[in-house]
Amino acid sequence: MSSFCPAHEHLSRRAFLKGALVTAGGLTVPNWGGLFHSQSIAAEAAKQGKRCILLWMNGGASQIDTFDMKPGRPTGGPFRPIATRVPGMQVCEYLPKMAQHADKLAVIRSMRTSEPDHPGGIYLMHTGFRPLVNVSHPELGAMAAKYLGKEGSDLPSFVRMGPTGNAGAGFLGPKYQPFSLGREGRLPYFTDSSLSAEAEERRKNLWRFMEEGFAREHHAEPFEAHRSAKEQTWRLLRARSAFDISKEWEKYRDLYGASDFGRGCLLARKLIESGVPFVEIGQDNYDSHADNFVCHKASLRVLDPAWSGLLQDLHDRGLLQDTLVVWMGEVGRTPSINNRAGRDHFVRGWTVVLAGGGIKGGATYGATDADGKDVKENPVTEGDLFATIYTALGINPRAKHFVGTRPIWATPEGARPVREILS
Amino acid sequence: MAGRGIGVLFVALALPLAGRTAEPPLRQRIDAEVQKTWQREKIQPAGLADDATFLRRLFLDLVGTIPSEAEARAFLADQDPNKREKLIDRLLADPRFAAHQATTWDLVLFGRHPPGGDATRKRDDFRAWLTQKWIRNEGYDRWVRALLLGEEEGSALFHVQFRGQPEEATVAITRLFLGTQLQCARCHDHPYERWTQRDFYGMAAFFVRLVVVDGPAKGNQRSYRLGEKSTGEVLFSGSAKEQKPGKKGDPIAPRFLGAAQPLAEPALPMGFKEPSLSSGKMPPPPHFSRKARLAEWVTAPDNPYFAQAVANRVWGQFMGRGLVHPVDDLGEKKEPSHPELMRAVTSQLIAHKFDLKWYIRELVNSQTYQRAARGPSTAALPQWFERARVRPLLAEELLASLRVATGTENEKDNSGLKEYVTQYFGEPTNGRGDFQGSLAEHLFLNNSGQVRQMIQPHKGNLADRLLKSSHSWEARVEQMFLATLTRLPTPEEKARFVKHLTSTNKPEPLVGEAIWVLVNCAEFRFNR
Repeated sequence: MSSFCPAHEHLSRRAFLKGALVTAGGLTVPNWGGLFHSQSIAAEAAKQGKRCILLWMNGGASQIDTFDMKPGRPTGGPFRPIATRVPGMQVCEYLPKMAQHADKLAVIRSMRTSEPDHPGGIYLMHTGFRPLVNVSHPELGAMAAKYLGKEGSDLPSFVRMGPTGNAGAGFLGPKYQPFSLGREGRLPYFTDSSLSAEAEERRKNLWRFMEEGFAREHHAEPFEAHRSAKEQTWRLLRARSAFDISKEWEKYRDLYGASDFGRGCLLARKLIESGVPFVEIGQDNYDSHADNFVCHKASLRVLDPAWSGLLQDLHDRGLLQDTLVVWMGEVGRTPSINNRAGRDHFVRGWTVVLAGGGIKGGATYGATDADGKDVKENPVTEGDLFATIYTALGINPRAKHFVGTRPIWATPEGARPVREILS
Repeated sequence: MAGRGIGVLFVALALPLAGRTAEPPLRQRIDAEVQKTWQREKIQPAGLADDATFLRRLFLDLVGTIPSEAEARAFLADQDPNKREKLIDRLLADPRFAAHQATTWDLVLFGRHPPGGDATRKRDDFRAWLTQKWIRNEGYDRWVRALLLGEEEGSALFHVQFRGQPEEATVAITRLFLGTQLQCARCHDHPYERWTQRDFYGMAAFFVRLVVVDGPAKGNQRSYRLGEKSTGEVLFSGSAKEQKPGKKGDPIAPRFLGAAQPLAEPALPMGFKEPSLSSGKMPPPPHFSRKARLAEWVTAPDNPYFAQAVANRVWGQFMGRGLVHPVDDLGEKKEPSHPELMRAVTSQLIAHKFDLKWYIRELVNSQTYQRAARGPSTAALPQWFERARVRPLLAEELLASLRVATGTENEKDNSGLKEYVTQYFGEPTNGRGDFQGSLAEHLFLNNSGQVRQMIQPHKGNLADRLLKSSHSWEARVEQMFLATLTRLPTPEEKARFVKHLTSTNKPEPLVGEAIWVLVNCAEFRFNR
């Protein structure tokens, strides 16, 4: 149990001790206002708990053209490798900024997964499970929302933007459904009230009057769940400015790169900082069955500044140590290059990259053979990956849930975290 | 288990009905058994629900909507001491009863996201088939037999969910109709129950030869028929842990769950060759139909699981939780909360030839069903039935009720209202069935044009009538409470609403706000 003790408990304890020191420093009354206004301690409070940002490479990025290069081999393709800050770790020439952050990355080069097509792969790499007829599994974001989210928070606990997952909250229930933003961060439907603030307040008060009367004699839990969801909706509207990055964008555009994906990454950082435990940003489209190299060159030029900018920004704000940043898609791409200069779907040996909270930086785990046609050592399954991610986030990978009477664990039977890359 | 105990019980039940006329109505037996447990558990039950609460609950459970203001006024004013029983009879004869029970069972059989993609999403023909069964009040055993055979028009859609997947059919059919959870035994012997993998594949052998054949399309609805081949076996290759690539496995003979011996099948004629099937063509009738034998065995009155499973499921539908809960897990180690009652409802349902309308009539006439929803217990579904259960309205019930409440039930909708409501209210619970409020649900209720449209005054809807009314605001507040919550306001509520409605000299937005509040409160969201 102790290894899964949520980190924020330690942190809040530390924050509390700082508060107590202030008191010991001469104040007769515990200065709680001072505690929360003091800059360093506010930063400490912001760091409470683990968070996760998933950078979703929709369609499946090519491992050989990014982090598992095979220069000089028939499968290697035209891209050249460059050195990184980590001796011996090379990346693609179109990821020059990421090369400067290699010391933050743990690269798993031995992913071997079980769903080679898009819908199944998207489900698999968001849930850790293959699609089943009788069970709908929750996505990573819903799990993070359940285990890392705070009751009574103004903002939703699972926010996503762009092309992302297809499984939703599954058996965890509607409370953990993703809050899906449109491109450029547009809020979902029905987030704009047509009422004046005054009318909104008036009907809110009348509604509360009805609920209070009813609650006096009716104590069943569902009534309370209904009330708290309604109140959360109102709080969300009050906090909606958290989704607006138009003011900051000017300042950060160069860091993140001028793209929707870059904006999404800035928004993710802002939301994480505002207490949202999970944000997923999707990037289209890596599904390069033809013209793989043209396609990847273009996509990597968007990815490189956005991802590296995010890591830099999180680091500068002291957020990276508790924020796990996951980079993955639903499949890898074939080592062999087809007659349309494309690479097809490949699940026998591909790459996922983790960084930040709970992860040992500058690490490489597993390897493929000389041509990248199979895993040579330390294969990692989707279940192992999810166990690693959950462990890094302080979520028990064996957490038990129920679908009717059927027990389902957070990760599939036999899944084991990759301890070598956990800090 | 249950299985064996009940098997013995059936011998006694096979007596002719005439010999059992002395038996008191089931409703009395229900109340007596439930009261026994209150004494034993030292529980103080809630009193009986008042007329208004009962009226709303019964309407939602039987016909899938709240009553109109006029229906509410009439029932509340009625002085007949037997008015509850009369209302029950009236609603059981209402055409909406058949439609609503068909909707409920359609969701039991398919769920919100059935496998089979587009094919199983449009189910109008299937629902029409099922509704007919309820209109004619055909015995549950008879319509389940027809469903398993899949030969009547519309019925085969059920099997489209399991096309080419006999294992999925095995899991679903044993769970739905036999209240038995077999899925564990698919990959390994069941850890808690006695089922082994051989039991699982013995059942799967009944489904392995089924073929769903596309029939002629009718408009935008495709039609299906269920055929059966004469050959094809399910192969068993040991537990999932022992699986190796290339390991083929042995054919398993069909065997009814719990039977000691496999089903005896006539041998195929020498040199029999399965005719090759062209798509869209029904295969010829099989040499021997496993499907027919299965349908017969599942629905037989002496099947130890079938009657108990449906008695428990329908009990749960009206009383909140099953006597065994959840309703589809009648495992050997699961003792019913009220064992005597479980035996009584099961045996009487068999004696009444699986007449579910009779059973429902007994359930809703019981005092157990008619308890108030007040009381200290916080459980949504109280274990001892000491107060009424609280369940979220089905998306279908919510939509119908919103329309009745706002006086828009006869309006055509082109705004996607139904699709949105299904999307946002279709699955309000987690995997264990606990209600969860969602952000999406409330964003829709708070801010959507669709909900606003229903509430805004137009051509005779509730807001329009209230605004044009010459009655006092007090009378109009009564009217809006009856239309939405099926009850009169308390004096405190009346005063507060009148104050709200007269707070500015522009009543139109205020009336809209008041109606919005009434259809957004917890009292409206649940059947209680």
